[in-house]
Amino acid sequence: MRELLALLKPRFWSFRNRGDSENERGRLLRLFVFAILGLAFWGGTFLIFYRVLSYFHGSEGFGDVVAHKLLSMALITFFSLLIFSGILTSLSKLYLSKDLQMVHSMPVSREKIFLARWIECTIDSSWMVFVYSLPVFLSYGIVYKAGVSYYAVVGAGLLPFGLMASSVSALIVMMAAILLPAGRIRSAFFFLSFLLFLVLATAFRLMRPERFANPESFSTVMLYLESLESPSSPLLPTTWFYDALRAGLSGSGRAAFFQLALSWSGAMTMIFVTTWIAGAVYFAGFSKAQTVAGRLFRLSGSTRKPGLFSLNFLSGPARAYTVKEIKTFFRDKTQWSQIFLVVALIVIYLYNFAVLPFGESHMRTGYLQNLVSFLNMGLAAFVLSAVSARFVFPAVSLEGEAFWIVKSSPVSIRTFLWVKFFIYLLPLLLLSEVLIVATNILLHVSPFMMILSVLTMLFMVPGIVSMGIGLGAIYPNFKSETPTQSVTSLGGLIYMTLCIGFIAAVVVLEAGPVHSVFISRLHRSGLTSIQWLRLVGSLGLASVFCAAAVLVPIRLGEKRILQKELGRQNPPGRKPR
Amino acid sequence: MIELKNLTKRFGDVVAVNRLTLTISKGEIFGFIGPNGAGKTTTLRMMGGVLAPTEGSVIIDGIDMAERPELAKRRIGFIPDRPFLYEKLTGMEFMRFTADLYGVDGRLVYEKSKEILKQFSLDDWADDLIESYSHGMKQRLIISAALLHDPEVMIVDEPMVGLDPAGIRMVKRLFRDLAGKGTTLFMSTHTLAVAEDVCDRIGILHKGLLIATGTIEELRQRARVREGDLEKVFLILTEGEPAP
Repeated sequence: MRELLALLKPRFWSFRNRGDSENERGRLLRLFVFAILGLAFWGGTFLIFYRVLSYFHGSEGFGDVVAHKLLSMALITFFSLLIFSGILTSLSKLYLSKDLQMVHSMPVSREKIFLARWIECTIDSSWMVFVYSLPVFLSYGIVYKAGVSYYAVVGAGLLPFGLMASSVSALIVMMAAILLPAGRIRSAFFFLSFLLFLVLATAFRLMRPERFANPESFSTVMLYLESLESPSSPLLPTTWFYDALRAGLSGSGRAAFFQLALSWSGAMTMIFVTTWIAGAVYFAGFSKAQTVAGRLFRLSGSTRKPGLFSLNFLSGPARAYTVKEIKTFFRDKTQWSQIFLVVALIVIYLYNFAVLPFGESHMRTGYLQNLVSFLNMGLAAFVLSAVSARFVFPAVSLEGEAFWIVKSSPVSIRTFLWVKFFIYLLPLLLLSEVLIVATNILLHVSPFMMILSVLTMLFMVPGIVSMGIGLGAIYPNFKSETPTQSVTSLGGLIYMTLCIGFIAAVVVLEAGPVHSVFISRLHRSGLTSIQWLRLVGSLGLASVFCAAAVLVPIRLGEKRILQKELGRQNPPGRKPR
Repeated sequence: MIELKNLTKRFGDVVAVNRLTLTISKGEIFGFIGPNGAGKTTTLRMMGGVLAPTEGSVIIDGIDMAERPELAKRRIGFIPDRPFLYEKLTGMEFMRFTADLYGVDGRLVYEKSKEILKQFSLDDWADDLIESYSHGMKQRLIISAALLHDPEVMIVDEPMVGLDPAGIRMVKRLFRDLAGKGTTLFMSTHTLAVAEDVCDRIGILHKGLLIATGTIEELRQRARVREGDLEKVFLILTEGEPAP
């Protein structure tokens, strides 16, 4: 036990000391932003569940059946999320963390090392799911007027629920580690995450929720409801927790206690089995993970020739960074899953437009189609911001500890940032134009709207990309092992917020004049001089915004990088004052 | 060739480098030694343009690093103490990348890279990803890349860390050859034997201050040691160990 605690202490101490190495103001600001966002999400989840459950509870006959089925589905979703999150965390904590070599050199048994790491994994992978499952349980408790015992059941049932999910994750990762080297497992899991997303998204789209607006489909829904009563397997941890919660809601204490006892005994058994298996296979897998991940595709002989990929029309620095960026991107397998996710996102986006019911006579109006197209500009720009947050914002941080190469090279930071800007601008501009043209074709919009959309994107995309590069330079993290996830950092949040503000400003500035143009066309009359003035003024101001969005972030990013000292901020043991 | 004028770096209240003034002539090998945390790496990073000084200036071949950094850096080959590189590039691709950044004539890059990589026994690994290299191989690759544009000044932080004995011997010989051809070398090292073997002059930095500078013989006189190696001199000057 003493050794186990000793192994856990560095994590606790690091957490306690985290403020010492951070800028206090930045930390508080980040905490504040996260707290606001977190509370909003928490409150939103509660309100949605509360309203839905109140509606179900008030419906005679099938309402409670659906509410209970919803609870069962929610538990299965939570359990799946816990397992999935646990897999990614276990992979990193058990096999890929930088401190593992030191930990394994210590005179502590492998089971204890595993157990200490597994405890960390369990906390890291489950706390967020726990926090965001609480509004769901709370809404059930309030709607069904449950007593204190129900809340006690929630508390006592969540812990074994998380422990069991974490054990399953650790077992999956350990099995994978003895079959594959760690570099490959990471790739495999990233592909799995993509597949999971794709299956979920496709399944959701195939359900075609828009059909529910048609009353004729209700007979099918009633038939479906009959199938909801089918019981779940009694061997599943989700069933134990579900039965315990139902017993808690109905006030049957003995039944709840029995189900909780099942959960706890199941959790303890799984921990024992997992630790026992870890004793046998964990170290073998860890040793295997120490080998360098092989290349998925060996470089062919032709790439050795200097002529290939030389992009000779570019200047030296531009060529150097462009070639480096492209090669690094395609050789980093973790990026591939991101590309697939983007492709899936775009396919779903386009599909949504394809199924919009514009074919029905009562909705076939040019005005509505053009209005949707106008809103689509904002939406497409937002999709692009999300893509940029994943690819462009981490672009500077991706230089990692090799950033000294940039700083010591005879190329200015400004050039470096502009080169990065253009590397990402071209594909993203292409993507956004394809997206907007394709959706406009699906919407059968007017030529005016098509030209306006294409031009708006042409002006907005450079701003979005520049903000990504600039803010990525203002908030870099050269020491992160996963810079692509920096979108969840304070800088990432600020980037997304600024993007939304920028898109909203441009769309709002265009909205008034565009409305005037449509109305004048509808009435077959020309624009008045005031409307012309408004048109020119609004579009002029939107252009100024777009130009500022391109120029200002890069300047600020450059300034910040020049100010920021690379490497050690303070001598060891000293705090900045 | 290298001039440091009142070079100062503060981290908060801590003065890492304190009013350092030095001049190193063309073709000279200058060794920088000092205990851990003395400010050696900080000084070298300021010289390489990687870190901005709080006060003072770095002048390379008459060019002020603060005023015309790109021009000054073009004359430098900077080799840091820790070999962080772009892991997803191959050794040859990294050479090409460096050549593009430093404006090396594209027609010569491939042959010249091959030649340097061969000199550092990396030719067999040229088409392998850097992520598969050992620490020493990465260090050798950084030195190779730093030589590609024929720098007039080499700034080297702990050049021998991670190198095997053959590598150390090769690097020592290389430094002497480069100095013989007129390249100025400024290196920091903990390996006093290397400093003794290679350097024309040595500076001892202690708590951010340059406490002594000169040839080995001059430093011995300063420490009032008639015999003994640099280690003895170093300990006397930095820790106040009594002279024999």
